[in-house]
Amino acid sequence: MFTYLLKRLGLAALVVMAVLLLLFSMLHMIPGNPAILALGTRASPEAIAEYSARMHLDKPVLTQFVYFLGNAVQGDLGQDVFSNRAVTSVIGERIGFSLALICTGMGWAVLLGVPLGCLAAVRPGSWLDRVTGVFSVGMIAVPSFLVSIWALLLFSLELRWLPAIGAGEPGDLADQLSHLVLPAFAIGLGWVGYLARMVRASMLEVMGEPYIRSARAFGLKPRRVVLGYALRVAILPTITLIGMGFGGLISSAVFAEIIFARPGVGKMIFDAVSDRNFPIVQGGVLVATGFYILVVLISDLLIAWLDPRVRSSL
Amino acid sequence: MTNDILLNIEGLTLDFRTNRGRVKALRDISFPVRRGRILGIVGESGSGKSTILWSILGLLAGNAEVTAGRVEYGARDLLTLNAEGLRAIRGEEISVVFQDPMTSQIPVLPYARQMSDILYRRSMSEADKRKAAVDMLRRVGIPDPDSRVDAYPHQFSGGMRQRAGIAMSMLTGPNLLLADEPTTALDVTMEAQMIGLMRGLRDDFDTTIVVVSHNLGLIAEMCDDVVVMYAGEVVETGEVHDIFHNARHPYTRALLECDPARIAEVSRKLPVIPGDIPDLTRPLPGCIFADRCQKAMPDCARVAPPQVARGGGMARCHLLEGPLADASWPPPADVVTVGRDLGGLAPAKVRNDAPPLLDVHDLNVRFRTMGPLKARMNGVSDPFVDAVLDVSLDLQPGETLALVGESGSGKTTLGRTILNLQSASGGSVRFDGQEIAGMAEARFKPLRRDMAMMFQDPVGSLSPRKSVRALITEPLVIHGAQGRDLDAEAERLADMVRLPRSFLSRYPHELSGGQARRVGVARALALNPRLIVADEPTAGLDVSVQGEILNLMADLQAEHGLSYLIITHNLPVVRHIADRIAIMYLGRIVEDGPAAEVFARPAHPYTRALVEGVPQPDPDRRRPPSATIEGEVPSLLRRPKGCDFASRCPLAQEACRRAKPEHIHIAPDHRHACLFPLSTTSDLTETA
Ligand SMILES: Nc1ncnc2c1ncn2[C@@H]1O[C@H](COP(=O)(O)OP(=O)(O)OP(=O)(O)O)[C@@H](O)[C@H]1O
Ligand code: SF4
Ligand code: SF4
Ligand SMILES: [Mg+2]
Repeated sequence: MFTYLLKRLGLAALVVMAVLLLLFSMLHMIPGNPAILALGTRASPEAIAEYSARMHLDKPVLTQFVYFLGNAVQGDLGQDVFSNRAVTSVIGERIGFSLALICTGMGWAVLLGVPLGCLAAVRPGSWLDRVTGVFSVGMIAVPSFLVSIWALLLFSLELRWLPAIGAGEPGDLADQLSHLVLPAFAIGLGWVGYLARMVRASMLEVMGEPYIRSARAFGLKPRRVVLGYALRVAILPTITLIGMGFGGLISSAVFAEIIFARPGVGKMIFDAVSDRNFPIVQGGVLVATGFYILVVLISDLLIAWLDPRVRSSL
Repeated sequence: MTNDILLNIEGLTLDFRTNRGRVKALRDISFPVRRGRILGIVGESGSGKSTILWSILGLLAGNAEVTAGRVEYGARDLLTLNAEGLRAIRGEEISVVFQDPMTSQIPVLPYARQMSDILYRRSMSEADKRKAAVDMLRRVGIPDPDSRVDAYPHQFSGGMRQRAGIAMSMLTGPNLLLADEPTTALDVTMEAQMIGLMRGLRDDFDTTIVVVSHNLGLIAEMCDDVVVMYAGEVVETGEVHDIFHNARHPYTRALLECDPARIAEVSRKLPVIPGDIPDLTRPLPGCIFADRCQKAMPDCARVAPPQVARGGGMARCHLLEGPLADASWPPPADVVTVGRDLGGLAPAKVRNDAPPLLDVHDLNVRFRTMGPLKARMNGVSDPFVDAVLDVSLDLQPGETLALVGESGSGKTTLGRTILNLQSASGGSVRFDGQEIAGMAEARFKPLRRDMAMMFQDPVGSLSPRKSVRALITEPLVIHGAQGRDLDAEAERLADMVRLPRSFLSRYPHELSGGQARRVGVARALALNPRLIVADEPTAGLDVSVQGEILNLMADLQAEHGLSYLIITHNLPVVRHIADRIAIMYLGRIVEDGPAAEVFARPAHPYTRALVEGVPQPDPDRRRPPSATIEGEVPSLLRRPKGCDFASRCPLAQEACRRAKPEHIHIAPDHRHACLFPLSTTSDLTETA
């Protein structure tokens, strides 16, 4: 178990390294002076000279990468080209909005999709199964940015039920939550359908296993058989899927933040790209990747914790 | 219904709705289950044995439809009882032991949890439930149950898992225990232990048991009453002695006569019941067994046979009563009634001095069990196991060598190494004088034509999307048989394995178990090999089909001079087909010699345990519980320093635990590895 954890952490570190290398080379592959690229065309010659010295732009590329890496490890991801603030503190201000969005989006999808899938699997062919079947396919088929736009048009512009823009007044929790509803709804909707289908399929498979028949032969209550036995096994592949699915969710969140003008990391990256604010882009991408790696690691550990066969093979 | 009848099945008739039509899986099934006794249901695959058990529990598949009958349990009819009422009975009053404990126990919950769940109806504290679980695990022989109760199924060996399965079903002290093939997934020594355990539990808890099996030995050893089923009907019932010594139905007679364990003289050719089980979707007037019965008369297929009572049992056959009655039926028990080609009685093959076709010398196969880092961290200095340890054997052209051992003894690894599918870590394998161990695949490829493998699971090893024609010519294609007429080859091979040519266009799922084996044999034969390694060639087959496959293999050997290396744990079969036997235990050969010799005078205690461990299909030859050997095969990770068998050997002494016994010859071709062998000389040497 311990070696497994070490291995996984090592692997995660390697992936982060690779991303860093990619980001670094992105800046260096684009023709032109990296200092100007990094600081923007309006930067003063002093600023460019200062930047070149700090980033060791006169040294060989490899050395530059080592410095870059060293800075990143120490939490120094450079500075915002316009405000000169540290990239980390800019991200720190915004990451909360993104995390709240992503977790709420996935959260409601799991809370609705898993029970729907279960119910559909317990009575395959029933009206509930057929209705979820049709809706699921629909939800999966529509891209989340379209859902975002429709939701915005319908619920806030037309019906005026919910606010359209921003993340709410700081300190006003109710206002912040009401600003969270629409984007979270939009990015989670497809996942409701996806999870319902996935849980249904894996529940149906597990319900046919001999050990489910045994549980029934021992007279266990149907509710216990479904929730304590079948779902206990069927949820395992779903967890892996959710972990991997966070990648897609992050990109949906970027669109949602743009559409709803939510000041999260996604919106930040988008703005930074159009402003050619490279340090911010770098930092944003790095944080997003790190988050994804962390989620996948957590889902793998969760599987190991829930499945003794996996645990003992580690 | 009298008080000594616990459960009474009356006229149970059941169909399965399928897209081929209605499968009439059970027709007019009636028999009582008497209180305190063990009832065995025996019959070939597909005869409806399991379906009966599931109807008792009310857990039939969704497409099943009961069209008539009752299952009386006390005053209740279980077929009409509501879901609530059934659930109250399941697990509490009627409990089940399943065939395959690996798939029938949920992998993600520990036994403690699974067992306390079964006790959910009892008002007991969790601690008391745990204690009850521990006590029951101790009763069924799980060592160290206080901590083992927290184990998960995959942490147990097959035998322990089935013990735990029995413990789960006995936890509530049920009135009736249903066991569906409880030992089929287990080795011989485990099977014997399980039979003893279930008989003991019956006595201790006063539980009535219904056991389903196609293993006649198990039925004879365990049961008091027997129900014989064929194609969805009960053809005969009776007390175990009546059934095994004085069967009255031609099918029961045939089934008993086909069992290799009941055939005293060694014979290359085994008796068979020709034909297949009838198609249950068609109307079935008259006698269900008519198209395979040796005694069938023209009216049998039209007129339903009478049900003729005897004692508490009955048989359904025209020979016994009515206008077609035959006073000379049934013949005495020693008269053979099924078809048998006696021309094949074993001509004792004389071993000549011809150079061996296969010569294995001091072969070793080691497997790494964990990575070097993990080994270091866990303080394991030797992260290897010896799956095959110093194995020597040889095989002459035209000879059959049986490699016998329990699961985990390394038989399959040895077979794969001989075929160069697994690399050896030491020793030599010579084929036709040429060293092949570790030979590069490119150089080995031409030799691969001379050696073929028959796989254990025929259907699983056949690609489902290929026709039989493509399957049996596949080896030819792989080995570049350009210019050969593949259609002609396919027909030649189908003829060789006596598979009707019309089957060439079928797909694997359209084949019966026996037909799929024939395709496996045909594939093995495609390249005209000289050696065939057959891994459990008849595992999972009914006795009658098993006979067909073994007869076919014997014929092919006689015609083409093939050599067979047969990997199996089925000793009754080995006795009939093998010239020589090698017994493996934990990767080492503990005894090898001529089959007849080894059976008659085993030298190694393990050999004797195996030979005597086979339950005899004769209720008069039940073994005392003391005859079964205790314990189970230790893990390769914990190979004992001395004799590998010492932990289970009834004769073990101090010396046995010090060093591995060397191989000792007691005749030129009979060796053993035991310090205190049961017989030190073989008669051959005495008379020679
Ligand atoms: N769910 C089902 N749908 C259709 N046919 C079925 C179903 N279950 C069983 N059958 C058929 O019913 C018959 C009896 O099957 P059953 O499993 O009871 O036989 P069995 O005697 O237990 O055989 P085995 O020794 O192989 O376990 C067979 O012809 C089988 O193919
Ligand atoms: S009724 Fe006829 S066919 Fe059926 S078992 Fe008796 S003799 Fe054979
Ligand atoms: S060497 Fe000893 S322990 Fe091993 S089989 Fe012989 S008597 Fe038994
Ligand atoms: Mg069955």
